[in-house]
Amino acid sequence: MKNTIKVERAKKNWTQAELAEKIGVSRQAINSIEASKFVPSTVLALRMAKEFGASVESIFQLEETDLV
Amino acid sequence: MYIWLKQIRAMEKSKKPLSDRLPLYALIWVLSYIGSLGALKMLSLPEEFEVILTIVPALAFALFLYTFYRYVHLMDEVQIKIRMEAAVVAFSLALVTVMTLGLVDIAFKLNGEDWNFRFLAPMFMAYYLIGLVISKRKYNIDHEEHD
Repeated sequence: MKNTIKVERAKKNWTQAELAEKIGVSRQAINSIEASKFVPSTVLALRMAKEFGASVESIFQLEETDLV
Repeated sequence: MYIWLKQIRAMEKSKKPLSDRLPLYALIWVLSYIGSLGALKMLSLPEEFEVILTIVPALAFALFLYTFYRYVHLMDEVQIKIRMEAAVVAFSLALVTVMTLGLVDIAFKLNGEDWNFRFLAPMFMAYYLIGLVISKRKYNIDHEEHD
C-alpha cells in the first residue's frame, strides 16, 4: 500500500514529530508508516486523514500487488 | 530485599512514568537472579532460605512483567507490533534451543557443568533482544530518514 503522507505533511509544513504528536503516536511510527513499512489501523488512518483534512482514500492507495 | 520493597512501594506511590520504572524493575529482576544464583552456588544455607532465594527472582520478574504489561497500553501500534514480533522470535529460538538440548542430552548425556537450566535464562533474554533488533530493522525504526 502506498501513501501520500509526506506530500500532505509538506503541504501543511509539518515535521514527522509534529504529525506524530497531533495523532498521538511516536515519530518512529510515522516514519515507519510513511516508508510503507507498516500499515496503520483504520482508527489511526482516519485520525491522520482528519488532521490533514483529507479522505483516507486520498492518503492511502492500494497497489497492484495488494489487489486479489 | 526489604529496602527494595520499600523503594518499589515508594515508586508506585510517586506515580513516576512507567517508562522510568520499567528499566529499574528489569535491573532488580536481573540482579535478584544473579544474587540468588551466586548465593545458592557459593553459600551453604538452610533449606528454607534456599527456597526463598529461588522464589525471589520469579517475584521480581512478575513485577517487571506486570509493569511491562501496563506499559504496552501506552505504546502505539508500531511499538506493540515490534515487541510482539520480538517475542515471537524469542519464543521460536527458545523452543529450538530446548528441543535441541533435549535431543543432545539423550544422544550424548550432557555434562551438568557445560549445560544447565540456569544458562537458559540469559539465552532467552538475548533471544528477545535479537528479536527486537530484527523487528526494528523491519519497521525502519533504526534506519531513520526524517525531517
